[in-house]
Amino acid sequence: MFRMSRMLKAAAAAAILMAIAPGAQAQGTGLTREQAMAALQASLDYAKRDQSDISLVVVDREGKPVLYARGNLAAPHNIGLAQRKAYTANRFKMPSLEFETKSQTNPELGAQRESDETIPLGGGVPIMVGNEVIGAVGVSGTKGGQPGDEACARAGAEAAASMVKRLQAQN
Amino acid sequence: MPKLLTTFVMGVFALFAIFATVTFFKTLTPAITAPTLTQKDISLEQAMEIAQAAVDECKKSDSAVTVAVVDRVGAIRFAVRATGATPDDLEAARRLAYTARTFRGPTSGWIERTTPGKDPVSLIGQRQLENTLAKAGGVPILLNGDAIGGIGVRGSKGDDMGDEACATAGVKAVDGNL
Repeated sequence: MFRMSRMLKAAAAAAILMAIAPGAQAQGTGLTREQAMAALQASLDYAKRDQSDISLVVVDREGKPVLYARGNLAAPHNIGLAQRKAYTANRFKMPSLEFETKSQTNPELGAQRESDETIPLGGGVPIMVGNEVIGAVGVSGTKGGQPGDEACARAGAEAAASMVKRLQAQN
Repeated sequence: MPKLLTTFVMGVFALFAIFATVTFFKTLTPAITAPTLTQKDISLEQAMEIAQAAVDECKKSDSAVTVAVVDRVGAIRFAVRATGATPDDLEAARRLAYTARTFRGPTSGWIERTTPGKDPVSLIGQRQLENTLAKAGGVPILLNGDAIGGIGVRGSKGDDMGDEACATAGVKAVDGNL
């Protein structure tokens, strides 16, 4: 009888674990289209206040683009720059401006500046949900230079993150 | 009297020198006669409206699609991947938009034209062009016969022709507002 109840408990525990596991996995999947759009909208609002013509790229946790938006007056390099900034922020899990500063003083990080996909320039901000990086936003073309690009990208990254958090709170 | 003559001759020389100098500098800076180009192009705001209309159209048939809108030179103006779609889907959508823009017609028509046997001399070589994709789902954005952009849709449940229907709906959304 005692053994039976232990088996039942184990079975119940297994059933609970199996029920939870798919949910935990679903959280691991990438950004949704709506979250990427929310990031774009928030960054465009910033650009409107700034009266600037921005180009923006959102990447997922793999560093692959989810969204591209190229400004009407953008120079040819802007969109590529935005993509590399987003890639850098996602890969090193820090704003690309912080990566620029850290890789300057730390010789070990120096070589990471040489990759075709990264760039030591401010304007890339990771999308953080708790301590987890689920993607990043990269911006090029604000009037405030690198700090301006970063502030604009941060507005987007935070909008996407808060949308993810709302979704998690509902579940 | 000779003094007056000298002054007159000097004056003539001075005028000539001024005239010569002006003529010389005029040859250095010729007047620009060729005007700069003014071209219509798809804006980011329009591209977003077009893409949204295509997404909405596909949503009616419960399809989540990836959409790309390119400008008149075939460069991405706006693109967004469907939730859960692969990076390849975004690249395919971009190529569809590019193909429709550059050949100024739906990609389904371009596939027809480039099918061997349709023309005495086959056009299939066009399919080797970079950035093109021989699938339906790309539609040009036309303004008075001028292609000012293109849209590519990928991933509808209606397959290639379903993609094209959503792409067409996207362009229709800005009809008359270009």
